[in-house]
Amino acid sequence: MKNLLSIQNLTTGYRLKKGETRLLHQNLSATLSEGEFVAVLGPNGAGKSTLLKTVLGFIPALKGEISYGEKKLQDISIKELATKVSVVLTDKIEDTYVTVEEVLLTARYPYLSFAGDYKEKDRAVVDQAVSLTGIDALLMRKLHTLSDGEKQRVMIARALAQDTPLIFLDEPTAFIDSPGRVELMHLLKAIPSEGKSILMTIHDVELALHFADTLWLLGKDGSFEKGNPRELINKGSINKLFDRGKVKFDKVTRRFV
Amino acid sequence: MTSAFTKKPFVMPLLLLVITMLLLVMVNLWLGSVTISWGDVLSTIFSSPTSSQANIIIWDYRMPQVFTAVAVGMGLSVAGLLLQTVFRNPLAGPSVLGISSGASLGVALVVLTGSAFGMDVLQSNMMLNDMAVVIAAFAGALAVMAIILYVSGRIGNVVTVLIIGIMLGYAVSAIVGVLQFFSGAQELHAYVLWGLGSFAKNSLIRSEIILLATAVLVVSSYFFALPLNAMLLGENYARSLGFNLKKYHTLLFLLAGLLIALGTAFTGPIAFIGLAVPHIARAWFNTSNHKQLIPATLLLGANLTLLCNLIARLPGLDTSLPINAVTSMIGAPVVIWVIVKRSKMKVT
Repeated sequence: MKNLLSIQNLTTGYRLKKGETRLLHQNLSATLSEGEFVAVLGPNGAGKSTLLKTVLGFIPALKGEISYGEKKLQDISIKELATKVSVVLTDKIEDTYVTVEEVLLTARYPYLSFAGDYKEKDRAVVDQAVSLTGIDALLMRKLHTLSDGEKQRVMIARALAQDTPLIFLDEPTAFIDSPGRVELMHLLKAIPSEGKSILMTIHDVELALHFADTLWLLGKDGSFEKGNPRELINKGSINKLFDRGKVKFDKVTRRFV
Repeated sequence: MTSAFTKKPFVMPLLLLVITMLLLVMVNLWLGSVTISWGDVLSTIFSSPTSSQANIIIWDYRMPQVFTAVAVGMGLSVAGLLLQTVFRNPLAGPSVLGISSGASLGVALVVLTGSAFGMDVLQSNMMLNDMAVVIAAFAGALAVMAIILYVSGRIGNVVTVLIIGIMLGYAVSAIVGVLQFFSGAQELHAYVLWGLGSFAKNSLIRSEIILLATAVLVVSSYFFALPLNAMLLGENYARSLGFNLKKYHTLLFLLAGLLIALGTAFTGPIAFIGLAVPHIARAWFNTSNHKQLIPATLLLGANLTLLCNLIARLPGLDTSLPINAVTSMIGAPVVIWVIVKRSKMKVT
């Protein structure tokens, strides 16, 4: 299978004052292939979002290489990257006049000409994203009147309408109740897997184990492990990462007890 | 299935605004301390003048006012819209970048310290000292704008730019305060008068140049409609849609800065138009799409300044009120209404 994203010997972290750095992870290598659903798991503060932002080029990588297909990240313009990756972020949209429809239409900006006219193809892609996420009834609503779950569906529809081979999501289940989370995961799982891959940070371990094809485990100590859920559970990696005090991960029921 | 491409009524309200603007222009030309009949107004504009008096009043006095009012209304309103979107702050306006304060400093330096340097700004030939004021205001505005552009080019963070702009405004106002403290009564009076704003300071030629320059800048802002829409989703989303924000922020600051400099140097600082008009446009057109907001804002802005100019001339029709007082009296309630409406929407 084709690699859509490959990360080689990546070091993530932040540059502080002159010369000083705060390292999060070193020598991290991983790939994301066509149709793969990857969940990035780790305790709070392990650097999940930092990894995501580094891969997107929002934060500079301290070392190592990130490539999309054959092309290195530093050789890809911001405009070109917009046709390769779409995102669902935790950022709040505050403008009270923005409608769901207007949010969806921004997804086509990477493809529009200077005049900004929507073509037949743009309409078709947006309409398809709307029906896949089931947000038909919300189109004319103002975004700020929606519930958190509805908002997240809209942002996923927006990412789909951007029609990119990769979709990155940062904590998509935050602020959503339990049934809503499961519903959202089913929606993500149903995204046509032909050519589309998903990379998602999440702190809900049980959900990630159930839905993801591959897990990337980030430890607070800078450790990194990857593999399919069953493998990692049997190896005791989940226990190593999350067990604390009396709370332990049970390998059989796949729950914390 | 519902399509995500519904058309909202948009052209009709815009057309309505164009018509009211033309009507307001005509009333502005007709109304004043000297009564000119409608027939004379029309024939003076469209064909040969019937009387030399009407010709002078309309072309030398009222038309320059109309051109200036339209230019300032369009320019400041669009500048306010651009800044509110870039800063994602409903209370951003032309004053937040410190550019209008920069213009004030330029004028204060010339008017208040002019006599100390042997430059008798107040007593000398009217036209010349007026020109000196305009140049000083423009230079002051551009100096502050240069600092803002430098900061925005070096630091990508708009909040930092916002804070630096506001702080520059305070610092510059403080210098103006010191200058005022040490200046004579006559100079002080002249400076205060400039600060009250007036659309009536410009010759026909100069008002035409202001209008043309403003129109060019306002029209070019339309080409930023897509990145502006993307910015409403936040900086990260805008970037993920392919927009290089550092570049767009700097270009938009340049555009807004030039509009504010134009709108301040030739008239004095005009309050509230840039802050209030974008809110009226959003509420009336019920949209956040800049492809509609930019034309709506510039037309509403022109309408509002023309109306303010009429109100300023109404009482007794002999002298005119300071334009700044009128725009504030109209603008402040609008801003209050917007804030109240917003807080209500958040609750429900």
